[in-house]
Amino acid sequence: MIDVPSLVPALSEWLPRQRWYSGQTEAASLAIIDQEIRGDQFPILIRLLVEADDYTYQVVVGVRGRDEHPEFLRGHDQAVIADISTQAGDAMAYDAVYDPELALVILDAVAPHEKAERARLMGAEQSNSSIVYDERLILKLFRRVQRGHNPEVEVTEALASQGFASVAEPLATQRVRDYDLAILQPFLAGASEGWSLALTSLRDLFGMNDTSSIPIISLDSPPPPLPDPGQAGGDFSGEAARLGAMTGGMHVALADAFGRHRTDSRVWAASIARQLDALEPGDYDRRGAKAILDQLADLDPGHAIRVHGDYHLGQVLRTDAGWFVLDFEGEPARPLEERRHPSSPLKDVAGMLRSFHYASAVARTERDEYALEDLAAAWEDRNRQAFLRGYMRAASPGNILPPDPECVDAVLAAFELEKAVYEVGYERAFRPEWVHIPLAALRRLTS
Amino acid sequence: MTEATEGSWFQRAVFYEVLVRGFFDSNNDGTGDIRGITERLDHIQWLGADCLWLLPFYQSPLRDGGYDISDFFQILPEYGDLADVVELVEECHRRDLRIIADLVMNHTSDAHPWFQESRLDRTNPKADWYVWSDEDTRYPDARIIFVDTERSNWSWDPVREQFYWHRFFSHQPDLNYDNPEVRQAMLDVVRFWLDVGLDGFRLDAVPYLYERDGTNGENLTETHDFLKQLRKEIDTSHPGTVMLAEANQWPADVVDYYGEGDECHMCFHFPLMPRMFMAVRREQRYPITEILAQTPEIPNGCQWGIFLRNHDELTLEMVTDDERDYMYNEYAKDPRMKRNVGISRRLAPLIDNNRAVSELLHALLFSLPGSPVLYYGDEIGMGDNIYLGDRDGVRTPMQWTPDRNAGFSKADFAQLYLPPLMDPVYGYQAVNVEAMQRDAGSFLHWMQRTLQVRRQHGDVLGLGSLEILSAENPSVLAFLRQLGDRLMLCVNNLSRFAQPVELQLARLSGKMPVELFGRVPFPAIGELPYLLTLSGHGFYWFELVDAPGGSQ
Repeated sequence: MIDVPSLVPALSEWLPRQRWYSGQTEAASLAIIDQEIRGDQFPILIRLLVEADDYTYQVVVGVRGRDEHPEFLRGHDQAVIADISTQAGDAMAYDAVYDPELALVILDAVAPHEKAERARLMGAEQSNSSIVYDERLILKLFRRVQRGHNPEVEVTEALASQGFASVAEPLATQRVRDYDLAILQPFLAGASEGWSLALTSLRDLFGMNDTSSIPIISLDSPPPPLPDPGQAGGDFSGEAARLGAMTGGMHVALADAFGRHRTDSRVWAASIARQLDALEPGDYDRRGAKAILDQLADLDPGHAIRVHGDYHLGQVLRTDAGWFVLDFEGEPARPLEERRHPSSPLKDVAGMLRSFHYASAVARTERDEYALEDLAAAWEDRNRQAFLRGYMRAASPGNILPPDPECVDAVLAAFELEKAVYEVGYERAFRPEWVHIPLAALRRLTS
Repeated sequence: MTEATEGSWFQRAVFYEVLVRGFFDSNNDGTGDIRGITERLDHIQWLGADCLWLLPFYQSPLRDGGYDISDFFQILPEYGDLADVVELVEECHRRDLRIIADLVMNHTSDAHPWFQESRLDRTNPKADWYVWSDEDTRYPDARIIFVDTERSNWSWDPVREQFYWHRFFSHQPDLNYDNPEVRQAMLDVVRFWLDVGLDGFRLDAVPYLYERDGTNGENLTETHDFLKQLRKEIDTSHPGTVMLAEANQWPADVVDYYGEGDECHMCFHFPLMPRMFMAVRREQRYPITEILAQTPEIPNGCQWGIFLRNHDELTLEMVTDDERDYMYNEYAKDPRMKRNVGISRRLAPLIDNNRAVSELLHALLFSLPGSPVLYYGDEIGMGDNIYLGDRDGVRTPMQWTPDRNAGFSKADFAQLYLPPLMDPVYGYQAVNVEAMQRDAGSFLHWMQRTLQVRRQHGDVLGLGSLEILSAENPSVLAFLRQLGDRLMLCVNNLSRFAQPVELQLARLSGKMPVELFGRVPFPAIGELPYLLTLSGHGFYWFELVDAPGGSQ
């Protein structure tokens, strides 16, 4: 009843406008390599696998009568693909993730045994769309797909089978041909991102500095000293320590599931040195950077294991049952094989430590009326220490870290350097007003 | 919590904890008394409390604040006499107020005639009323509760030349519940006071009634059996009575004291209190939601007792290792909490006398599942005097007026049982009932108004189910209370800064939130996330009604 190939011209215009489109410009070639149609009356769901230049995408197309003007599309013009003709009459094709009714059909395709009444789209990420059902289930629909196991599916399944409790255990997955298309997990109700919690803590700390919140015992008392983050009501260090412990547990489980690998730290040092070349002169102190890399090349770096790969405060959720970790896809712009490549667990640790610095810097920028550098630094230091304490306690028995604590520090410094280099490049390209944050870190690390 | 639309009075009640000694001195001898309470019932009734809870008023040598009872049938003379209690009870009932009192079942004072008789020799009629032994080694697994003062649960009695068992102070020998005469005697005590007209008891230290080899002597089957027997007796003889258990334990363990709904009617929820404070300190909801997630359902017809301040505090040795780590990291280690662990602080100083925080904490107390228990003086934001030591710091005289002795007593100042507070922030010149009643914007008036609103929705708040709502903003605690088709939405901002929140309420599409203090209708709930903004430490109570015109 619907002529699917006729969608191709509309798709070649629509696809490049999507956030998860990976090509640079409009696709030179576009082909539908797989299709499945559900339903014979409006609304109809069409699941497509589309090859556009070098990439493959999953497109879920909803079809409804042209005069329906559904409310869910209001304000989402980018979701409309095209007006089309069908045997049932004039119709409109659109991105089906916005359609709460078809979202239930999508769920049924992935997990026929799961029943739900309500669906809502949770906002689109760079490489996937997430739909929440009844505030109980979350379906992650991969939009850009690659042959072979999607790391999200592969890693969450492996971690769950290791008995690692801080990950949402997959309830169902959908795999078509050689592609992972979707994963269904329990929705972590009542959760908040680590990033929001860290900012809450920082805002509370900076608020202690407000003159209005300091009691005056005598009008000629000396001015109060800077607040101590340890005395602050919003102290985050307990959370940071538990987050560190969860991270350590995750690495032990990853090592148990995917193996511990011998590694050569010179390869890592060389790779970081290459990335440093992309920076501008004056971004950092060359001698300091060289010292960090020389030290890295020269030591026993511990084991390489499967890592999270893109670990920061936005990837962890605080729930009533403690911290959970999300999103093992790694950096989606990089090829699958590279994302699955073993690395040092301290790479993830460095990612989180960089995130603590970002949080403190962002919170400081929010209220630049005060000189808060020292306070922000004290917060960062306190929570770094707490995180590392929790991490070392949980990860050490896993036999994955360098045996010598000084080596741990050296490897960590090198990966913090690598992360900061990446951040400088990213901020220069997308958020120049934030580039001072990683630049400050680079200078701090290399001076 | 399971639903029951009927419910009992105590499931909807607001309790008001009164220290007899500190409330009002009717005969100007420097010590509060029973008649003083009777004379000041207007205040409690105006405030909107439903039930008085009297701390112990029995004859006692007062070596443990009256929890060392030497005669269960006599009133401590400085508090008055039995006729005064009868008068108070009748006056309460005339006003539709209820009244319960502390009762210690586990032990007596060593000055109690029962013990004096029991210790004489090994053959007297009461020889077996206490737990005696030639050795001080039995029941080694029972922990010592007052580790600061006691070295053993056994003490030597030079008269009888035997050791006697005591779970608390050595001057508080434990009764021997294996002896049927003891059980009967305690049932007689209960019946006596119910005949006087008390509406129930707060049962002190219930987990320890029995001792058994190879156990820690807590929560034994025999103890539960006795509570079941007690419950059966009072249900038959005095229906409508409430037994409120003090079992200072984790909620998952405390629920055992509800039995199948055939033991205690109420138990205190101890861990909630410190976690409410931590949530406001941390400006995030997890301290509260975590403990609620660990709180089991309780049987129909039962209720939690919840409180902000009280003369007791959670003891850390009662909790699991994980919980202890958590409590240590997040509670005991917090400098303010550390300084205030124990019973030496009142609510207002604990929160820097912050009016908004006090309102928020009370809004939580009045809207979370459980019957709220208020502590005398907290309605006016009274302070404490930590230099008086341990418990006395929070037991200073109620501050009625700015007059001499805070209007508590006309005795000479030097004759008062404790000095009233006189500091510039919390002293009675600044903080007193009279001034706050005149000031319509005072916290006292806020509390009175809030309790009025709570009373109007007592069914839902007292009996309804609880569902915590997801919110990405960690500073916002939002929950639904539901009883049948009646729904309340409570949204609380734990941060001192203004906060936004988007609630996923699509399943309630077509309902309209009506704010309960002003009956102001808010925009109807639709398919989109419901956006609310809250002022710093602000909160909303909404009733959810059908929007005019049905679903939008």
